[in-house]
Amino acid sequence: MIKKLRYHDEGNVHMDFHGATNTTIEFIIKKYGLDVMNDIFSKVGKDVYKNIRENIKNGDIEVLAEHWRYFFDREGADYSIDFKEEEIILTVHRCTAYEHVRKLTGSVSPHFCDQTIKTNEALSEGTPYIIDTEIIGEAQCRQTIKKRV
Amino acid sequence: MIPSDHFTKFYNEVFKFLETQGEEDLKSYWLAISKNQEKHTLELFKKKGLQGMYEYWDHIREEENCDLDLKLEDDKLELKMNVCPSLSKVLDNDAEPMKRYCDHCAGWIGPIIDKVGYHMVYDVIDRTKPQCVMRIFKNKEEATKAEKEAKLLMGWPGKKTDTN
Repeated sequence: MIKKLRYHDEGNVHMDFHGATNTTIEFIIKKYGLDVMNDIFSKVGKDVYKNIRENIKNGDIEVLAEHWRYFFDREGADYSIDFKEEEIILTVHRCTAYEHVRKLTGSVSPHFCDQTIKTNEALSEGTPYIIDTEIIGEAQCRQTIKKRV
Repeated sequence: MIPSDHFTKFYNEVFKFLETQGEEDLKSYWLAISKNQEKHTLELFKKKGLQGMYEYWDHIREEENCDLDLKLEDDKLELKMNVCPSLSKVLDNDAEPMKRYCDHCAGWIGPIIDKVGYHMVYDVIDRTKPQCVMRIFKNKEEATKAEKEAKLLMGWPGKKTDTN
């Protein structure tokens, strides 16, 4: 199932890294502003996830679903994935990353979910697809990859 | 969500940006991370000293999938990282690694060790290889002696070396 993934980490999962991500988001935005933070997320989408982006460019959007499934399973999230023609919808019912940060710090940066929104935008930029990210509640979102109109 | 498995790849992108801003900006970020890490370490290190540090890194060894050896003595803790998962992930990456990626480790650990009154000697050995040796001493003179044997000695905010 993981044959297409460029990264398929194994072993234990260190959820505390999400706390460091939250600290980083607050630090960067306070010192350099929102645009700089968004640029960094854009580099993650375009450079770190270059392989997923190339697949999306070539019309293979299932690789994104494979990525979602692999890593949300590793983090014990509650989610579902629906496949339609030329469209895949990920619904995160309970985001364990968000919940872990809330448990660690008591408060989560209002920009915590930008890591998803902005990385998704960069992943789909310059491809025939767009990825919409909707925050539908606390620790809940819907991510839809579909043909660009 | 950027998976926690890929935090180090995100971290690498943050370092690359900060490096363009200058050394003080990198140090300022390491201090912010250090402050965050105090939640997991400071009380334990204050209360249990070297034993507490052993317990922390023993837990990290398992949770972060590290291949490392820990040796606790009466007046010293030695951590020998044989295969660092953090740098390994940054090297196994479609994005370019930041050349001084390893520096962040001493950058956040050093200020905490200073706060609890111990003396750290952090030898990265070679920034292109996922291995390093960290020694924490009770005695300052022993640490100063060990610094002379280091191949690539790291500094941190508040502690200067020839490498920074």
